[in-house]
Amino acid sequence: MTVETPLLEVSNLSVRAGRDPEASLILNEISFCLEARRILGVIGGGGSGKTTLARAVVNWLAPPLRVSSGEVRFRGQDILRFAPEASRSLRGKAIGYIGGDPAGALDPTLTVGTQIVEKLRAVEPDVTRQEAKERVIELLAAVRIPTPSQRFNEYPFQYSGGMMQRAMIVDALISKPELLVADSITQPLDVTVGAQILRLLRDLTEQFGTAILFISASLPTVADVSDDILVLDGGQMVELRPTAELIRAPGHPYTKKLMDELPMLWSKDLGARLKPAPAIAEPILRVSNVGKTYSISPRSGIGRARRLQAVRNASFDVFAGENFGVVGESGCGKSSLMRLLTALERPDTGTITFEGKNIFDQGAAATKAFRRRMQLVLQDPYSSLPPQASVGDIIAEPLLIHGLGGRAARRAQAMEMLREVGLPAACFDELPMTLTAGQRQRVNVARAMILEPQLLIMDETLSALDQTEQGRLLDLFERLQAQHGFTYLFISHDIAMVRRVCARVAVMYLGEVVELAQNERLFFDPGHPYSRALLSAAPTLEERRYRSEDCLLEGEPPSPIDLPPGCAFASRCPHVYETCLKRNPALTDRGNADRAACHLLTQGSAQQKDHAQ
Amino acid sequence: MFILGFLARRLAQGALIVFLVSFLIFTLLRVIPGDPVRLMVGGMAPDELVEQIAAEMGLRDPIPVQFMRYMGGVVQGDLGQSFIRPASGAAVGGAQFDDATRSERARVLTLIADTAPFTIQLALLSMFFALLVATPIGVYGGLNQGRWPDRLALYIGSLFVSLPNFWLGIVLALLLSVHLGWLPAIGYQGFAYTILPAIVLAVEIIPFILRTLTVSVAQIMRESYISAAYIRGLSRTRIIFAHALKNASVPLLNLLGVQFSMLLGGVLVVEFIFDYPGLGLLTINAVLQRDFPLIQGIAIVTSAAFVLINIIVDLVSTSIDPRLDY
Amino acid sequence: MEKTVEIPGTPPADDLRRLSISRRIALGAWNSLEFRIGLSVFLFMLLMAIFYPMLSDIDPTRMNVRARLIPPVFMGEGATWAHPLGTDQLGRDMLVRSLVGLRYSLLIGGATVALMLFVGCLVGLFAGYRGGLTDTLLMRITDAQLSIPMIILAIAILGVARPTIPAIIIVLGLSGWPVYARVMRSVIMAERKREFVRGATVLGASDMRIMFLLLLPLCLPPIAFVAVLDVARMMIFESVLGFLGLGVQPPTPTFGNIIADGRKYLLNAWWIATMPGIFLFLTLASLNLMGAALERSRNRVYGGIE
Repeated sequence: MTVETPLLEVSNLSVRAGRDPEASLILNEISFCLEARRILGVIGGGGSGKTTLARAVVNWLAPPLRVSSGEVRFRGQDILRFAPEASRSLRGKAIGYIGGDPAGALDPTLTVGTQIVEKLRAVEPDVTRQEAKERVIELLAAVRIPTPSQRFNEYPFQYSGGMMQRAMIVDALISKPELLVADSITQPLDVTVGAQILRLLRDLTEQFGTAILFISASLPTVADVSDDILVLDGGQMVELRPTAELIRAPGHPYTKKLMDELPMLWSKDLGARLKPAPAIAEPILRVSNVGKTYSISPRSGIGRARRLQAVRNASFDVFAGENFGVVGESGCGKSSLMRLLTALERPDTGTITFEGKNIFDQGAAATKAFRRRMQLVLQDPYSSLPPQASVGDIIAEPLLIHGLGGRAARRAQAMEMLREVGLPAACFDELPMTLTAGQRQRVNVARAMILEPQLLIMDETLSALDQTEQGRLLDLFERLQAQHGFTYLFISHDIAMVRRVCARVAVMYLGEVVELAQNERLFFDPGHPYSRALLSAAPTLEERRYRSEDCLLEGEPPSPIDLPPGCAFASRCPHVYETCLKRNPALTDRGNADRAACHLLTQGSAQQKDHAQ
Repeated sequence: MFILGFLARRLAQGALIVFLVSFLIFTLLRVIPGDPVRLMVGGMAPDELVEQIAAEMGLRDPIPVQFMRYMGGVVQGDLGQSFIRPASGAAVGGAQFDDATRSERARVLTLIADTAPFTIQLALLSMFFALLVATPIGVYGGLNQGRWPDRLALYIGSLFVSLPNFWLGIVLALLLSVHLGWLPAIGYQGFAYTILPAIVLAVEIIPFILRTLTVSVAQIMRESYISAAYIRGLSRTRIIFAHALKNASVPLLNLLGVQFSMLLGGVLVVEFIFDYPGLGLLTINAVLQRDFPLIQGIAIVTSAAFVLINIIVDLVSTSIDPRLDY
Repeated sequence: MEKTVEIPGTPPADDLRRLSISRRIALGAWNSLEFRIGLSVFLFMLLMAIFYPMLSDIDPTRMNVRARLIPPVFMGEGATWAHPLGTDQLGRDMLVRSLVGLRYSLLIGGATVALMLFVGCLVGLFAGYRGGLTDTLLMRITDAQLSIPMIILAIAILGVARPTIPAIIIVLGLSGWPVYARVMRSVIMAERKREFVRGATVLGASDMRIMFLLLLPLCLPPIAFVAVLDVARMMIFESVLGFLGLGVQPPTPTFGNIIADGRKYLLNAWWIATMPGIFLFLTLASLNLMGAALERSRNRVYGGIE
């Protein structure tokens, strides 16, 4: 390879959806260079054409998309003009590709190892099967997959999402490519797992000397890994500059807007939004020692049923008029907790009281009455509304269910709600299909509000929305709270959102509340190592308070089925010591009603106790 | 270990199903009007004789008693004796009431065991024909969804499924056998007699295979691991043959399990038309002659076959797609 | 902060998306050539079956020994327009007999499928929604029913008892419902997990309300559309029964018994056995084309291509 030609040179690349010269332009005149061993980040929102760019670079555009002009030169040759066969072997060998859907990236009927071997031998036919297998196992070990020779023979469905993404890194790097295209690789993963994957990718590509085209929708993530950043907006290249420069002084209004929308975790001026909980008030919702275990019987019908401990010993109070947050990653028991709180399921242990009454101690009529006072706003704006009913009917339905008002009264009230959540009256007779995601979530809010409940549970209500729309809805919530005196319980995986709106926060990990703290305390003085790990992995452009390298060990969260004794976080905790593996810590008071469950907090006294025994 | 547990559970379930089938058909045959003894002894026999024979055969006992007695035999591998057929062969139809040879009547199990191989031969051959025609068309149609191969599959499927099997049998026999003399049609005197019935049966099966294959292949080609495979550098041939077809074979196998009873219906009619000496013809004759033990025996054997086929289908599917284990 | 916040971005203006799912399926099918061909042929057959026997005033059971075995008009020789499809061995008009056969065939096919749909969907709805013990119980019954060789049971019942039209409908209908129960159950189980169902529960809606007002209207039409294919299947079934002598009894003409009779005269009067078959084939093909078009349209709508 000559020093003069860059590894990848894209010039004036345009992509249209269809052969028609009038067909809509997906990418417009994109040009950039990528030198060997460099990392170029591409940032853009939904519909910006970033995935199309990734596919064009590997010469795999599925119809109707096609390149209408421009070139993609790899080592000086235009790969868009390669014969299919040549471009195929180039794709697998010299250019690696990792996508954002690790769960669906491999054939579910073959083992992961076989498929990586298959790929290696397809692009390098000289490698023997045995050699290939050895190389794969070696690399599986390098991406820190435990017991790689055993994992080699497992099927994709036996891998967790993070594990699968590691395997896909192996798949991409196995042929020692010079260029790696990484398209939204951390998007489906939990932040702590995503942080681990990014760290790994950086180390490995440095080792292999691979150049990366790193594509993501999250500016902090891109800024974290890239040397240079290309900003895409609606298929246009709006900016291409070195990372540090771009962050310091964004040149284009779109880049500025992106940065302005980023949540700020550490700036202290958030306090105004957060009303502290009234210390003396009786809690509106009291959750005490709630646990829920599901038993999973094996498919063959023979053998012991296994226990999945979805919620373990959860306790917290929510006070009237406050914003309470429950935060945690996938599998932490948030959704199970939500089902318990809304009386969809009964807990095995503990009690839940709402306005002083146990919500399970009553008959069907009382449950129905409880459901008037407490409402749920769901996560997915696409499946949370019945597809066949009109918006007006959906909003009015709760009234019908509870037998409130006549037809005209219901209609008028639904109309009023529609206005209150900021939807145009014209939506009233539309089907939800015609609405945008943000509008649908407003319909959800309107439907929940119409019964004038006391408590609104927001189950990942904002997760599916972009930053701008999230901000608007949060403003709406605030206004409604001021008008109607709602209490909000936010269930979320998004620590930044929680930072913005919740006065008090419960952090959950593997079914347990590991920390319960006031907003400021949680972010500036977390009591649990997991809280710190979560904070260290949160994407932000601010100077990091906690470095992910210090807060999180490599390794996957354990399975909630048949949990080992001891602290559930022990497998990833940098501060782990032997007591952690033996006993599970209980919530310890840290003063001011803040509590955390970690042996480190009680280390002194615990050791004394051990000694005494 | 897993396999053993699976087998044990499925066989237990299967036994329950066979038991239910036996009970149902046993009861139905005794509840609905039509006295088999009258048929056996002939219309001329005096009523007392009918009652006497019926009592001797235990047909006047309460149904649960009769059923338990019957099941006691079934467990020991005894499906009883035909009411009508002599052990020597052909049906005697309405026998005389003074016929002393009743003890010589054929054993149901022997009758079934004698005819089953013919039916299996017919079923396998027709399956072979059907797969031969339907696999290429179906796969090609699935790979080219919305284009002409797909339409071809649709039209062939729609036309074939609209051909009533008994009518097609008659027409093909008239054309290929009577007019052209290419293939023998009626009875059985060698393998060639299986071909024409097998073609008719294949025409009945083809639409189902076509439909399943086009849909599942098209669906699998839209899966993300297929497009990911292109980006990972695998060739199209490899993607189609090693990945797409492998995954598409699971629904096809399941089709076999689910449509077993449809296949059975086809076999029945086709054997009747071509006078092909298999289980189907035996069944129809048993029904027309009200040969209760034979009907019961056939029902038990076919439901056992259904259970076994479904177990095999599930085992093979799990070995193709290990996700089905969990 | 303003009092109301208008949301930017117009909703997707795609007209197709505004239609409910069943309307989209129906529209998708209507736009295909297969469906239109099928529908025209079917309507033609239906009108013929309704009106020709009435208007021509020919009794399908009236024998005319002098006009025996008249060939159809396209055979030329000896044919007459009084009997466009010729006559059978007893001099009965083949066209009228075929059309009357078609009436019975459609009646039995339609009624059977309606019965199957009703029983199957109800069982599937309860099994899928209730889950747990109800599900296990209902599904075991369904499995047992599915594993009983129904054809044997059907011919056994009809062979031993006298086959009447209601008996035929019940026997065929009972043999077909398990498939619908399974399909309905899996659809309901998938829909039940959707958030809007959970939402409705939390709003306080009763189970019955969710099952019959929310889920059933959503899940039934796509299944019912494709049931057209089963109407064709049941019509074949009915004619098979007739052919075996276990269907509607002569002298009422049905496709099955006409073809069974005609088989004896196959060599000298081949049209008796084949002509009704062509009638039946055309009707079935029209139904199957419509059904296939509906099914594809449904797959497209659910596959998200449209």
